[in-house]
Amino acid sequence: MDHLIHPIALYLGLALVGLGLCVALPRARVSPQVIGALLAAGGLGVILVLMGLKAQGELPNLYFYVFSLVALGGSLRVVTHPRPVYSAIYFILTILASCGLYLLLSAEFMAFALVIVYAGAILITYLFVIMLATQAPTEDRTEGLKSYDIAAREPMLATVASMALVAVLTGMLFTGISGLEPRRAGASHDALLAQLPRRVEDAMKDASAITFKDRIVERDGAFQIDIENRRALVTGPDGERWVDFPANLAPRNVEALGFNLLNTHPGSIEIAGVILLMAMLGAVVLSRRQVEIDEEAKVLQARNLMEGRGAEGQA
Amino acid sequence: MGTDLFMLAQAGFPEPMGGATLAHYLLISVLMFAIGLIGFLTRRNLIVMFLCTELMFQAAGIALIAFSRFHLEHSGQTFVIFVLTVAAAEAAMALALVVLLFRKRESLDADEWTEMKG
Repeated sequence: MDHLIHPIALYLGLALVGLGLCVALPRARVSPQVIGALLAAGGLGVILVLMGLKAQGELPNLYFYVFSLVALGGSLRVVTHPRPVYSAIYFILTILASCGLYLLLSAEFMAFALVIVYAGAILITYLFVIMLATQAPTEDRTEGLKSYDIAAREPMLATVASMALVAVLTGMLFTGISGLEPRRAGASHDALLAQLPRRVEDAMKDASAITFKDRIVERDGAFQIDIENRRALVTGPDGERWVDFPANLAPRNVEALGFNLLNTHPGSIEIAGVILLMAMLGAVVLSRRQVEIDEEAKVLQARNLMEGRGAEGQA
Repeated sequence: MGTDLFMLAQAGFPEPMGGATLAHYLLISVLMFAIGLIGFLTRRNLIVMFLCTELMFQAAGIALIAFSRFHLEHSGQTFVIFVLTVAAAEAAMALALVVLLFRKRESLDADEWTEMKG
């Protein structure tokens, strides 16, 4: 069987990553965090380089290496940094790097949505809560740290368990996906263009195939767009005629994603909305501060109210 | 350089992801998930624990997008939207809970709260 990476090399690399992570996790005593981080990064690097060497044909794109190393290194620091604020900021770095990976996978909309929602909204909320719930750090490095930030819980056990999980998953993945055939880019997504007449018109105008007065004919509620032959029936001052699509006309990522979201999963959007609403209500209910007023204050307030009403009555 | 990246994003890769195959992205995703899991198991700070769950969500997102690109099918990307929704809802609830717990004990230590154990 053709492995993407030699299994023994993979498991050795994983062991290196695990060892490095284990050393890098914060301890009660002074721990050699830098050495651990370097070790883990080295393990990741070995795995990535070996994967690159085994890839069929050309090497993976340089951007892939850069983004995935930054993403994994950032996530290592999220886990190992003793200060929560830095963890959160490293998490933003991880998010930005995975956005790069999304762009490489031609998922542009999700990449930018991720920046806006994750890095822009969720992480800011996290930073708010971290700032609210921790004391200001002092100059000395470990001075401002709480004991629960310094001492990790069972680092060895957790690392061994997680790396075993990775080993099982990768073994399964590589045997499982080796039988999968990637789909070639075909006409299937072009079918969306039949529902996007204005977009087809714009593309034709850009290619100077039609003038600004031409419109795609709509007959019996259906636009006359012939997907198979890549042409559309256009009417205008010059009369009706069939015009071919420009060669590069294809549905964009956002259009295809929008159609998929609204056509294929319309109910899920409603459910997502309900989940968000419930989360909002739950957050409000949970974090509400109960104001406790003692009896004297209640009496005083009641008296003030009565006097106020009395004054109004007299006036 | 800028246009280079832009073209990569627009045209997609000609053949399956230009040398970086599905397995590359899945390995990245699995490693990121494992790192998040280690963090969730070992860290004792409640906020960092929830950050690590977000890391695991992120890993799942990468796997979904990679499969979506592999099959040229946009449902994978649609599901990342729902992952994002769940992550946002989870962040809101978790942080509200953290604020509540911090107000009660003045500590973010997960080990402070063990009354429900067994």
